Amino acid sequence: MTPEPPRFYFEDLELGGVIDTPAITVTEAHVQTYRGLTRELDDDAHAVPELLPLCLTTGLGWRTAQPPLVVLAFLGLEWRVLRSLRVGDTIHSRSRVVTKRPMREGGVIVEEREVLDQHGEAVQRGKFTFLVGKRPKEVAA
Amino acid sequence: MTELRRYFDDIALGEEYESPGRTVTEADIVTFAGLSGDYNVLHTDAEFMRQSIFGERIAHGLLGLAVQAGLFTRATQAYATLALVGLRWKFKGPIKIGDTIRLRAKVVAKTEAEKPDRGLVTVQRTILNQREEVVQEGETDLLVERRA
Repeated sequence: MTPEPPRFYFEDLELGGVIDTPAITVTEAHVQTYRGLTRELDDDAHAVPELLPLCLTTGLGWRTAQPPLVVLAFLGLEWRVLRSLRVGDTIHSRSRVVTKRPMREGGVIVEEREVLDQHGEAVQRGKFTFLVGKRPKEVAA
Repeated sequence: MTELRRYFDDIALGEEYESPGRTVTEADIVTFAGLSGDYNVLHTDAEFMRQSIFGERIAHGLLGLAVQAGLFTRATQAYATLALVGLRWKFKGPIKIGDTIRLRAKVVAKTEAEKPDRGLVTVQRTILNQREEVVQEGETDLLVERRA
């Protein structure tokens, strides 16, 4: 057996700790792939669809030093788009857990998240709610 | 084709739309994983997911959200939309490979904006699967141009 990669459980999450992700430049390729996948069309090839940075922020969360969170389900989100982005802009995200509520199976967490551009300006902002797994009782040696 | 777009003034409170169906494929999920960088096992590990409560890989929630944005453009004549500015959304159930989803939408609010050349249209949206189950639902706020 290969060793299991480290994972982050409900118990491991601390309230209020701020995590900044690495950045990604939004390219024409991202926009074209997104438009092909969704058919959300626009005549302006360099306009970034509003939902694309939201989609990219979930992947950016995988590039931090914190091991991947054991997400059992994405329950919902509230989101605001503060300003538009253009192809060539570089974004990263900043998040912190603001609520932890244990349940019988796992726990519910609410995370505040922002997408910031290359000038450090918040371009999108909101809250994500996840159902997260608890650490298994038995851990194989 | 600008004249075919519908302005804030043209959109009536209570209007309802229904989109055609769209079958969500394995290719959609793999493409979305590549685009977003979200390789969570929920979406990418068929063997692991066989043991899970879902029994198989499921689509990213945000893939469903993004696909419905495209379905909206096929459900009604285009709005003169300036931007999507707000979103309140719930993921109610999984979208699995081969599921066919469609969008049902209704205009639930029209609000004056600060600038006189635009208004805010709130659209309630429901994503249904082929079994008429609600898999996602929520509201979106769209800034839409007014007629000059």
